[in-house]
Amino acid sequence: MSAPSAPSAPSAETVVAPVEPGERLGKWSGKSVPRTEDRRLLKGQGEFTDDVWMHRQGYAHFARSPHGHAKILSIDTSRALSLDGVHAVLTGEEAKEMCEVPFFQIAPEPAGRLEEWPLAVDKVRYHGDAVAVVLAESRDVARDAAELVEVEYEPLPVVVDTVAAADPDAPLLHDEAGTNVAWHGVFDYGDIDWALENADHVVKIDRLHFHRFSSTPLECNAAVVNWDPGTGVVDVKSNNQMPMFASMVIGPTLGVASNKLQFASQDIGGAFGNKIGSYPQIAALALLSRKAGRPAKWTEYRQEHMLTAGHGNERTFLDIEVPVLKDGTILGFKVRAFDDAGAYLHYEPLGAVIWSQVTPGCYRLKHIQVDYTETLTNKCPTIPNRGYSRLQHLWLIERIVDTVARELDFDPVEVRKQNYVQPDDYPYETPSGCVYDSGDLPRSLEVALELIDVKGWRARQRELGTGSGKRIGIGIGSTLDSGTNNFGQARIINPDLPFSGNGEAAYVKLDLYGEINVDIGTTPQGQGHETTAGQVVADVLGVEPSAVNVSAGFDQRHNTYVAFSGTYASQFAVTGLGAVLGGAEMLRREIVTLAAFALEADEDEIEVEGGACHVRGDPERAIPFIGIANLAFSNNAVLTPELRERISLNCRYVYTPPFTVPDPETKTGELTLTYASQIHAAAVEIDEETGRLEILDYVAVDDCGRVINPQIVEGQVQGAAALGIGAALYEAFEYDADGLLQQSSFYDYHALTALDMPMMKYADIESPSPFTPNGAKGMGEGGGAPLSTLCSAIQDALGDGDALVADSHNPWFRIHELLGGGADGAPRAVRVESR
Amino acid sequence: MLLASVDYTRPATVPEALEALASREGAAPLAGGQSLVNVLKNRVASVELLVDISRLEELRSIEASEGSLEIGACVTYDEIDRSPEIRAGHEIVSRVASHIEDQQIRNRGTIGGNCCLSDPTNNLPPLLIALGATMNIQSGSGLRQVAADEFFRGYFLTAVEPGEILRSISIPALGEGAGAGYSTLSVASDSKAIVRAAALVRGNGTIDEARVALAVVGPVPIRHSGMEEALRGGAATADAAREAAEAIGEDLEPIADAHGSTEYRRQMARVVARRAVDEAIARGGENG
Repeated sequence: MSAPSAPSAPSAETVVAPVEPGERLGKWSGKSVPRTEDRRLLKGQGEFTDDVWMHRQGYAHFARSPHGHAKILSIDTSRALSLDGVHAVLTGEEAKEMCEVPFFQIAPEPAGRLEEWPLAVDKVRYHGDAVAVVLAESRDVARDAAELVEVEYEPLPVVVDTVAAADPDAPLLHDEAGTNVAWHGVFDYGDIDWALENADHVVKIDRLHFHRFSSTPLECNAAVVNWDPGTGVVDVKSNNQMPMFASMVIGPTLGVASNKLQFASQDIGGAFGNKIGSYPQIAALALLSRKAGRPAKWTEYRQEHMLTAGHGNERTFLDIEVPVLKDGTILGFKVRAFDDAGAYLHYEPLGAVIWSQVTPGCYRLKHIQVDYTETLTNKCPTIPNRGYSRLQHLWLIERIVDTVARELDFDPVEVRKQNYVQPDDYPYETPSGCVYDSGDLPRSLEVALELIDVKGWRARQRELGTGSGKRIGIGIGSTLDSGTNNFGQARIINPDLPFSGNGEAAYVKLDLYGEINVDIGTTPQGQGHETTAGQVVADVLGVEPSAVNVSAGFDQRHNTYVAFSGTYASQFAVTGLGAVLGGAEMLRREIVTLAAFALEADEDEIEVEGGACHVRGDPERAIPFIGIANLAFSNNAVLTPELRERISLNCRYVYTPPFTVPDPETKTGELTLTYASQIHAAAVEIDEETGRLEILDYVAVDDCGRVINPQIVEGQVQGAAALGIGAALYEAFEYDADGLLQQSSFYDYHALTALDMPMMKYADIESPSPFTPNGAKGMGEGGGAPLSTLCSAIQDALGDGDALVADSHNPWFRIHELLGGGADGAPRAVRVESR
Repeated sequence: MLLASVDYTRPATVPEALEALASREGAAPLAGGQSLVNVLKNRVASVELLVDISRLEELRSIEASEGSLEIGACVTYDEIDRSPEIRAGHEIVSRVASHIEDQQIRNRGTIGGNCCLSDPTNNLPPLLIALGATMNIQSGSGLRQVAADEFFRGYFLTAVEPGEILRSISIPALGEGAGAGYSTLSVASDSKAIVRAAALVRGNGTIDEARVALAVVGPVPIRHSGMEEALRGGAATADAAREAAEAIGEDLEPIADAHGSTEYRRQMARVVARRAVDEAIARGGENG
């Protein structure tokens, strides 16, 4: 039998054109330059949203639903208003009356008819849904008053399971939508029926479940919002990490034009995607401020954050079928996926396409069919949490690969190496038309296995044998972090959406005495943008990084933004630094032009070095940047009219990636520009009596192309690994049958701490991206590799038993259950059909 | 979360503290505040007057005599961890205290608070029961003593009556041939306990006396008489401990939550009880 031909290659113009990085970066890029922002942050001199103070500000507190689903029969605010120090109370009904339209929906009809307002109207749809918001003279009074808002509820039946929610008879969340299905579509690539008919083996898995969890930023959501009655300007100081998306959603709802809706932030204490989802609260605060005639300040409580700030997507995979050839070639897979978006669609249903950035994972799978349903449930709305929508899918693929290896008796290492996209395949086009830019997965895996001495652990595993009460397991996780989104993928969800491409803006200028200043449209939350932008500019302008001032934070008033501005989705190294690089090069050209004029030389004779320009071969003929600045800013009568017109030393550059518009019909296109890889491996020890797992050895091998600052990259890898390990073993958000969150505090939601983190080994491999201005790839999210790695290790430790590691969350009791052969009476969840 | 409005007083002596506590129905003693303040912030309980006893010298001493200990109710976990007297005679008490949450909490949290809050997941109560400790309760009319295994009455409920405070805790000397053990299964490091056990075993080759306390298997830590009886008179060996642990069974009806089902907790109670006894036997051997 011969393998079927791959989907036809795209025409040349749809392939992303390589760019030549050349010598655009110099000596500072690639060095672990100490982080500029750390001095201020470590000394308590950062400015976080809670540090912002506005004249006459009041403090806001939300009154929230204690029910999973209930009709609001009445709201009585009189007791709250009678409390001393209360300025105003705003209910959902009032808020709706002050709004022009509901929040914009990404979903097509019928889910697109869903109406969401800044506060719940008529009914509450999840535990924690906000029904009213109070403004008072202090946080204490605001909270006390919120407790005095009396709401009469009539509880309604709840649905907390995504598969059950898709049933037409399930309790309906949004009457106006008429369905709980937020989106449904079939992604059909290659020819899965052909592959299933012609494979030597078909491995079938009944069900896999990827659980709900979230990241835990040290700083919760916060905003100070002032609706200025005089100017009509709405000032939003917040830690929202995607402010322009927030602006586009809430502007029309509030009836405020973009040029009067002014977002700004300085320091943000971690965000992880959670802080994309704070726009409903910001809208409610704007209305509250308008009603009260005062700025409204809100700093979220941790419990409020856990209940309502947004969880990651939970996904159930059913009826998985995997065609495999007898030589170990995996042809693809077929699956029905049900994704749980929670009670409202915040950024969703974009998750329904975002996973397809990595359709075949790290592998050369050609035939893939995903029947994808996203549903609304009576749970906290999801937000694009770190690894958004891809980590669920990548976990599925890693479980598939491990299960194929185990069922068909292949070596899990060899089957990976054999099926991985190979180094000479790049640029590699996936079945969904994405182009993997570069990488070396087999070598990454080899490095990982060497670093944890996998042979040694295998020997130790055999030595332990049975009867010791301990089991050793070795696991591998291979994931991708797809970065720099093409927002055109939104059209695959809703062809009517006029979105495509991506971009970021930077302003690079000389200031009055020749100082260098950089503004960027990003909202850094710990990623060190001030440092890395400084490195890039230092390289271009021939100065030390310390000579570059990068403005801290984001301010719409700088006019340094585009619609995609913000910090999310692993893209800063490409879009942010691409903009900074472009801006710095523009400025350098202007500097050179003025230097040539001043030194009476040709532009190509000018060298830029040490904060000055000189004529090549003649260091005495020189002009420092202060002189250049003088010419442009305070001495411009000496210039020619042409130079006065053309040179501003204020260079705004917008980087846009070379994308085209994806095709909604075939659900194909270049959905992301870069693909960083994470190959993790671990050795674990499991205590048979309790199921307790200890990580004995852990390694992460990361490849994110050209690295601008190795220390920052390693920090991101550590952070992403910590999130994944925490999620795999400790962290889960689960709802009971009444729709109440079971883990709404750190007592029950054990966010991983340093004590739980193994001493992780780390290595990096640099496969420069041919598609980006600097060879770098976006990174930081990771692909949830620890979830795959630890599930793989647990499965390995189970040995030959029937039990399948079918859940991404494996607390001790679940591992204990697996050691006992799986849940009582559960049928075997895996079958193999061979011919 | 924020505290509801509450009055606060810091009396200078134990009698003054008792007077303040008797002055209002909603008065409660505040020691380290590491649990109580969280309870108040979450508004699970309401208190009108906090009587701060944390700096009362009378409640802050550690007395050791011939192997027995008297630890003041307001001695912190950190002080217990670092006390040479406690380390010498009751190393296990120091060790358990040193594993309570994190250093900041250990700097403030107190042994009395750990007991009086009676949270079923707390570290020290099962150990004090296993060690046969006595709780010294002070009221205006004098001092009364309650055995540790009679002290814990329910979720957040103890033998301390209104108008009383826990003054100190007496722990008898381990004695020759005796050893103590402690074992916990928790969600992660530095996190909520799924189940705990503590044990005291006395004997020389043969077990003369065994005390086994289990926690997080119900509203209060309990002694498991079935396992104790099974151990008594038997050989001080791991096999005997394993067999005795089988006595733990359907008599327990632990709560089910996100960290384990009733059946899982029951099975784990057996495991940690056996591990605690194993440790007690081993340490008793060293102490022979």
